Amino acid sequence: MTSPSTAVQAIPGAIVPTRRRKKRVTIGRVALYLVLTVGAFLMIAPFLWMILTAFKSELEVARFTWLPAVWRWDNFVGAMQTAPFLQYFRNSLVIAVGETAVTLAICTMAGYVLSSIPIRGGKFLLNYFITLLMVPFQIILVPLFLIVKSVPLFGGNDIFGQGGTGWLNSWWGLIVPLAAAPIFTFLARQFYVSLPSELADAARMDGVGEFGIFWRIMTPLVKPALITIAVFQIEAAWNGFLWPLMITTTDDLRPLQLGLAIFSQNPASIQWPYLMAGTALATLPMVLLFVFAQKQFVEGMANVGLKG
Amino acid sequence: MTTTLSKPSEVGVAQSPRPGRSGAAPRRRSSVVSRQKRAGWWMIAPALVQSVVFITVPTIAAILLAFTDYSFSGAPNFIGGANFVELFGDIRFRTALVNTVLYVLVVVPVSMAIALAVAIALNQKIRALGAFRTAYYIPVVTATVAVGTVWLWIFNSGSGLANGVLALFGLSPVGWLTDPNHALSSLMVVGIWQGLGAKMIIYLAALQGVSPQLVEAANLDGANRWQVFRFVTWPSLGPAQFFVLITSIVGTFQVFDLVYVTTKGGPGLATNVLVFDVYNNAFGSLRLGYASAETVIMMILIGGFIILGRRLQGANTHD
Repeated sequence: MTSPSTAVQAIPGAIVPTRRRKKRVTIGRVALYLVLTVGAFLMIAPFLWMILTAFKSELEVARFTWLPAVWRWDNFVGAMQTAPFLQYFRNSLVIAVGETAVTLAICTMAGYVLSSIPIRGGKFLLNYFITLLMVPFQIILVPLFLIVKSVPLFGGNDIFGQGGTGWLNSWWGLIVPLAAAPIFTFLARQFYVSLPSELADAARMDGVGEFGIFWRIMTPLVKPALITIAVFQIEAAWNGFLWPLMITTTDDLRPLQLGLAIFSQNPASIQWPYLMAGTALATLPMVLLFVFAQKQFVEGMANVGLKG
Repeated sequence: MTTTLSKPSEVGVAQSPRPGRSGAAPRRRSSVVSRQKRAGWWMIAPALVQSVVFITVPTIAAILLAFTDYSFSGAPNFIGGANFVELFGDIRFRTALVNTVLYVLVVVPVSMAIALAVAIALNQKIRALGAFRTAYYIPVVTATVAVGTVWLWIFNSGSGLANGVLALFGLSPVGWLTDPNHALSSLMVVGIWQGLGAKMIIYLAALQGVSPQLVEAANLDGANRWQVFRFVTWPSLGPAQFFVLITSIVGTFQVFDLVYVTTKGGPGLATNVLVFDVYNNAFGSLRLGYASAETVIMMILIGGFIILGRRLQGANTHD
């Protein structure tokens, strides 16, 4: 194995072509890096602009400049004081953690069943979840609102769901309806499908129960899937806007995005530096999440399209 | 648990190996399978119940409401297809329809093409891969409310970045969001920019799944770069293309937050898109039945676009 390759390297004629190829690649690489860098700059320019604006004064914002003359760190303090950002932050955290925990629990189970357990109508159920992928959220907004309002025995409702406010203005209403999107069930299914069924069969022979096979044998093998689903769901929950806008009326429950939108409600009196400072603070956790999870995330995504 | 599982098979094997195996194995398998099925139903039940209550029932309700004059108060009256007839005479709806279709036709293919190009470039074993990946993905993790406010700033006709850049080249300023001829194109730029990262990540992941042996074999057969891409890489991307296509069509059709934060459908009706019009009809005019009829047309359109997209991809898809 080793001797032919060393022999090839020992021949001078073999080195020259590789060297030449390397050189040609280097020129191509410079172009590649250049294009990629310009592209990357275009992608993050709005983001940079947001951060830079957060440090500017009200006056500077009125004309076009890149860098602030003085870096005003106290804009961040000012933004925090103008609106109850810490509370919005906590609310977003509760919603994101709640939705993600529920999603991880029930979507992985459903995805596992769709991929590996031959239940009657399994194919139909898979198509059912895929069809649900295509239902835009805005379409079901109003009926969904009415359903959430008439959850029985909550918020002063009687057993028929009448008379009270149901899950409106509650953590239940904020978390449960969005806690298990069909896309996550579909994603989970795509991962479990790629595992060999021999693993489950062997465990079954050893007397492991069906839930044990799912929980202790199969799920530890799809960690990238769990991370992918968690990242997607945390982002979706963190950036959610329309649903909380519809069902909350107080700052006690309102998440960050809503707080930011309320902050910018009156275009005439928007304090742009404060708004940008708040926006930057709201975005930072999600950027950090991606930076730390990206390797697993990309690995996880690699399985998504493998088996239709 | 162990006893129920092993008993029948052992007995079967012990009695007479050949007929026993063929007779007992299906029986054992069928008892295992039925227990498996029962467990399966328990495990799929929570997701199923959640989706039925919070997605399927509201969707059916929306379809039923489309044939009524429901307006939040009072009982809905059945009015047949009157909503649909009215819709096609409604200039707001017709503009929204045209705008949305234009928006989808531009944003989906362009952002898919750029995303694929970026993914291929990032797949060349380059340095600082993590940094590049993050840069291209940042618009995805940023909430549309934040994205919208930043672009509002960039497109600001007085002190915005876009006109600042034009000024560098000595060009006169453009009313990016205030000129009816430019507003929709400006939003398309934002849409492409915003959706690029998510598609790029999926393509990147799929590219890493392309068999290196196949590429090597093609290279040995003297295929050039384009041929390798066309006959090896492209076919292996099939399933990823399907996922990207469906999620982009659905996501692009649903453009709402961006319009809500930046233009509110204006100037005039220049950026009035379907979901925004639905939102206005439902919560502005409180005409819920009418808005539902609009959403039914939208669902049909999305379905049509997905079928069309699948056809166009069909020739290249493997599965």
